[in-house]
Amino acid sequence: MSETAREHPAVQKASSGNPRSIMYREALREALLEEMRRDASVFLLGEGIARRGGSYKVTEGLLNEFGPKRVIDTPLAEATFTGAGVGAALTGMRPVVEILFIDFSMLILDQIANQAAKLQFMTNKQCSVPMVLRTQGGAGNGLAAQHSQSLEAIFYHIPGLHLAMPATPYDAKGLMKSAIRSDFPVVFIEHKLLYMTEGEVPEEEYLIPFGEASIKRPGNDLTLVAWSNMLPRSLKAAESLAEEGIDIEVVDPRTLVPLDKKTIVDSVRKTQHLVIVQEAVRRGGVASDIASYVHEEAFDYLDAPIEIVAGLNTPIPYNLSLEKACIPQEVDIIEAVRRALARTV
Amino acid sequence: MPVMNIIQAVNDALRTEMRRDERVVVFGEDVGKFGGVFRATQGLQEEFGSERVFDTPLAEAGIVGMAIGMSQNGLRPVPEIQFADFIYPAIDQIVNEASKMRYRSGGQLSCPFVIRTPYGGGIRGGHYHSQSPEAYLIHTPGLKVVVPSNPSDAKGLLISSIRDEDPVVFMEPKRLYRAARGEVAEGDYSVELGKAALVREGGDITILAYGAMVPTALDAAEKAAAVDGIDSEVLDLRTLMPYDITAVLESVEKTGRAVIVHEAPRTCGFGAELAATISEKALLSLHSPVLRVTGFDTPFPYTFESEYLPNERRIRKALRDSMNF
Repeated sequence: MSETAREHPAVQKASSGNPRSIMYREALREALLEEMRRDASVFLLGEGIARRGGSYKVTEGLLNEFGPKRVIDTPLAEATFTGAGVGAALTGMRPVVEILFIDFSMLILDQIANQAAKLQFMTNKQCSVPMVLRTQGGAGNGLAAQHSQSLEAIFYHIPGLHLAMPATPYDAKGLMKSAIRSDFPVVFIEHKLLYMTEGEVPEEEYLIPFGEASIKRPGNDLTLVAWSNMLPRSLKAAESLAEEGIDIEVVDPRTLVPLDKKTIVDSVRKTQHLVIVQEAVRRGGVASDIASYVHEEAFDYLDAPIEIVAGLNTPIPYNLSLEKACIPQEVDIIEAVRRALARTV
Repeated sequence: MPVMNIIQAVNDALRTEMRRDERVVVFGEDVGKFGGVFRATQGLQEEFGSERVFDTPLAEAGIVGMAIGMSQNGLRPVPEIQFADFIYPAIDQIVNEASKMRYRSGGQLSCPFVIRTPYGGGIRGGHYHSQSPEAYLIHTPGLKVVVPSNPSDAKGLLISSIRDEDPVVFMEPKRLYRAARGEVAEGDYSVELGKAALVREGGDITILAYGAMVPTALDAAEKAAAVDGIDSEVLDLRTLMPYDITAVLESVEKTGRAVIVHEAPRTCGFGAELAATISEKALLSLHSPVLRVTGFDTPFPYTFESEYLPNERRIRKALRDSMNF
């Protein structure tokens, strides 16, 4: 793994010679646009993505350039159009299927878990499903129990899928381009609160390989692992704690499958403390899996129990104050860091 | 007490509850006239008629959706999903509707129904008839998940599940359906949800298992005691959600070591949650990292079934690795 790939995007930008700041949604749109120009087998399927340009404007204008055969509005029939995507992928196309809210991906789980994910194994790689499933999750804006979930653990547990959850515009673009070129079925989870966030993205083409974590902030006292919308929150917490002299390393795995376990374990061996932050409900989440792995690989290095800051084990409430109470906030992360450092054995 | 296998115990539990409570109805693919592919519902249609025991089309989302509607209107449905692998077509109904109903309605509505479903490998069922999907279910707030390992618990836990006010997924270890035999209490008999059972006492190390892995774990514990000189304590979790964290921590704090056994793929399996929680709550009692013996991160294989499933050899290796850490 190159050192550059693991540095802060701002550092990477400085070397590109062409700084500019764009939104997460624009970065995703650029990735789709570039890949569709590059490869005629790439096409898009989803609800409201063509004429409307997508609910979050990620596919805006693509219909005009690529026409209705490559940017297709579907009925509200998730299992059907995901199945169409799996079939198209099997026959040589590279579909990018959008599920409007990850909550609705429960309607396609059979297509993903029992079909797309298994076909490479079942056919000894005679078949592959080079499909990207774009979707967005997470709470914010009071969208209640069925439009706010963080369901990455479900896809993470399914053997045969790759899984990306970028937190910055830079990572979103580079990972989307890699996802489209991947021969694995990729689940690409965006976050509704990140679409309008800005970050530096170079004009020049670049790709980010799957399986490489990014150290978003180097530090020595404690490792914070966070992805998607928990990353900006964790970085803010780290900045607050820096003011009192607590030096935190923030690691963003960027892709959960494959997971860059080495970067995480190396960081924990250095700092001897780990806090993992996830928006999803605690029980059965990805953080538990990472914790159990680190525990096995770095047992003798850990100076304190691993802290997991996670969503509460409830559906997401509609009420904004309750919604906030269910999702890790900056203050929860700071408290977990303090607990971990205080419990040092 | 009569001796039964798990199939007979499930059948007995259903019959007992249907006689006691006319709100209990049973439906699913082939459960009526045919009596179920594994014969768990045999004879129920004859006794209770085709309004209370009926066949459905192969439409899992419809089966669970119907159970949601029935349960909200006063019935106590016990739908069957013929194999746990086919729970995926119904998962939207489970995750987004049934499990959230109590929360979304501020407690005005609930979904008291039990999805019975045979799970797991060991019958050469290949990748579509061998999966263990419990990890998806325990990650879903609002659901209960129950996995019995023997006939007596199968009856007692199923009766408790039917009487519970919230949706329960009742996962039956199909490999043990006829293999596990034991005495079962007659008539009304229940086992409380959320309580683990200590099935072997030991002082060196704790083995946590559930469902079809319990006899395998016990087998490994006996061999480890005889051959490796390791005295294992074996806990049968019985309920995965809510799971008996008190019993788990009590045992691990006593032995200082833990090995978790499950059939599902390792990554993000229920074992990861157990390991993370044990490490968090009992780090200072641990002499070695919590180890997991699980299925692999691949689809369930047809040919390599016996390699994929945790066996006595792999469990004993984990026990030795933990002791020698």
